[in-house]
Amino acid sequence: MDVGNLVLFFLAGLSIAAVLFIVTAGLSLVFGALRVINMAHGSLYMIGAFVSWFVIVHLANALFGFWAALLVAPLITAIIGAVVEIFVLKPVYGKEHLLQLLGTYALTLIFAGLVRKVFGADVRSISAPAALNSSVPIFGHGFSVYQLFLIAVAVLVAAGLYLLLNRTGLGRNIRAAISDPQLLSTTGVNVTRLFTIVFMIGTALAGLGGVLVSPTSSVDPGMDSNVLINAFAISVIGGLGSLVGSLVGAVIVGLILSFGFAYPPTAHYAIAFVFAAMVIVLTIRPWGLFGRAEQ
Amino acid sequence: MFRLTRLFAVGIAGTLLAVACGGGGTNTTTSFKGTKNVGLSTPITGQSAAYGKAIQAAALLWQDDINAKGGVNGYKIEVKITDDGTDVAKAADNTRRMILEDHAVAMIGAVLSSQCQAAMPIAHQNHIVYVAATCNDYRNTTSPDYRIPEYVSVVPNTYMEATAAGIDAGKNTSLKKWYILSPDYSFGRAETPAFVAALKKTNPSVQILNSPSEWYVPLTTFNFQNVIPKIQAAQPDAIYSNIFAATQTAFINGALQAQPDFFTKYHFVTLSSIDDFNALPDKYPTGIRVYERAPFFAIQGNSIKDYVKRFRDKNNFYPSDWAVMDYDALSIWAAAANKAGSFDTDKVLKNLAGQSFDTLRGKVTIRKEDLQGVVPVWVGTTTRDPQYPFVILKDIVNPPGSELVLPLNRVKQMQDGQCPKNDLANCP
Repeated sequence: MDVGNLVLFFLAGLSIAAVLFIVTAGLSLVFGALRVINMAHGSLYMIGAFVSWFVIVHLANALFGFWAALLVAPLITAIIGAVVEIFVLKPVYGKEHLLQLLGTYALTLIFAGLVRKVFGADVRSISAPAALNSSVPIFGHGFSVYQLFLIAVAVLVAAGLYLLLNRTGLGRNIRAAISDPQLLSTTGVNVTRLFTIVFMIGTALAGLGGVLVSPTSSVDPGMDSNVLINAFAISVIGGLGSLVGSLVGAVIVGLILSFGFAYPPTAHYAIAFVFAAMVIVLTIRPWGLFGRAEQ
Repeated sequence: MFRLTRLFAVGIAGTLLAVACGGGGTNTTTSFKGTKNVGLSTPITGQSAAYGKAIQAAALLWQDDINAKGGVNGYKIEVKITDDGTDVAKAADNTRRMILEDHAVAMIGAVLSSQCQAAMPIAHQNHIVYVAATCNDYRNTTSPDYRIPEYVSVVPNTYMEATAAGIDAGKNTSLKKWYILSPDYSFGRAETPAFVAALKKTNPSVQILNSPSEWYVPLTTFNFQNVIPKIQAAQPDAIYSNIFAATQTAFINGALQAQPDFFTKYHFVTLSSIDDFNALPDKYPTGIRVYERAPFFAIQGNSIKDYVKRFRDKNNFYPSDWAVMDYDALSIWAAAANKAGSFDTDKVLKNLAGQSFDTLRGKVTIRKEDLQGVVPVWVGTTTRDPQYPFVILKDIVNPPGSELVLPLNRVKQMQDGQCPKNDLANCP
């Protein structure tokens, strides 16, 4: 394989990783602070995609549609996240994990039905904004500007989350909640509200992922489960609860999918290699590459 | 005065009699012996949802037309339409319910070949005529594993359309290096090797860049982020694809985004339909070579012109290829049932086998040996025409069905189980 092709597959892998990182970061943040495995995270990603389609096609004009969707969809999924956290998760905090799993799994079914009811079951497609709908030559190949944009957004989200967690009071509280929520509550911090805010950030990231992926794919009612499988694989590889782990895990999975598919002998097994990586990490380091072992 | 009154009374009586006998002009009321149902399981949702809307509209238009003509064998016909969600199990379940609960006297086939293959045993168990208008795996009429005596195809099968496309593609001798992309299910696995065989036969110097194990992607692939770089890296002269519906839309979107000149840099040959054109009215690439099963704008004759007008008047959109073929499927079944004077499956089949029918696509003969319709395929280059809100075809070739249909000796070999794995390529 020549250098041009290597770069092409590397960038393609990074662009796949970009969306996966944004979605997984939300899942991981919620687990880290709330100790909740949100099975409905993929549903919020799907809702983000459908909302972006609706905004682009029905509300905003073609020029601003995508940019408007980039704001509106995460906002809507954050509001849905707040409702879910307050009415579904709060009553089961501190109880066995199975209740949380069943509760959020029930939400996936409810959201799937609601999406079909509200938006219909058709597969939709939307275009990237005109400013990004072009390609740049890279070693003789055209490469999508939009996919480069995805990588840039992922870098910005990673930087933003880093600054939020390490340079703000809210971030300090979130990190404290991750370490010991009970101790944090004794310091006068409103942990109840903090949890709602964290869940809203997590679901907003799911919605953002849904908007970003739409122009590269189709908006379809089955997209919730597909992304959730990859997000869980990334979480297991990187370490559930670790943002650095989400980033590294997403890059690993993105590159496995891109290079795995590129070579004829491995093309049929690209997705299997992701799960093979997951099994290897689980065997050697069950808490993931950057996770922390539960005490 | 008396004479005038009597004349008036006779006039009224005559008018009443004429109305009662259905002779009262255009507002006739036909008295039917009863109602018979025909079943249609079609995708209103899911991957092939784009096709279901026109299929449904065609079936309802046919229902109005046939009942206005007195129905079939004196019975009013109702087409029972159910959504299968582009799901194989749902299509089979719909078929079972329409036969057992709605007492359907005939079934019109689903969209996916795998759906038809799941529904066919149910039609066979209940001995119900199953007319395929969209699903078209050639093995449905030839393979001992799939074939049922009740299955009739009025759509060009995978062998026929792939042969038409392969011969057409092979004539462009400047295209040496080909990349293949196909859906990974029975349709793709039947059609793609037939295309490659016809391409190589027409132009033996072609080279297929990806190995057969790399040809196929899952039917519900909507993200081609890792497929497109692979095509770019392979640097083909041409790409052959038979992915369709939402998957094709996603591919075109992804390819245009990765490389806006993708479809001019690589010669592109694909299966398509008016529904696929309609999915991307402004973005569907022009200058690509497309093969279609029944594009109304390319079909000659007054029947199709009249049908398009009435279809548009009723639905406010143009009929798709499927809308033409499903209308034909229902018309052919009705003609055979009327000729048989019965809904009895054996009698209807007897009046289908080897018979010719007037359809929207012209005269169609149902071959006796495999009940495959001898129907044509249209191959052309996409172009824009201000008359239509979607791309249409120019430079059209229209090989007749008789030039495309599977040779009878091959059909017999397949039906006799002489071709291992039910694959034409393995026939002796």
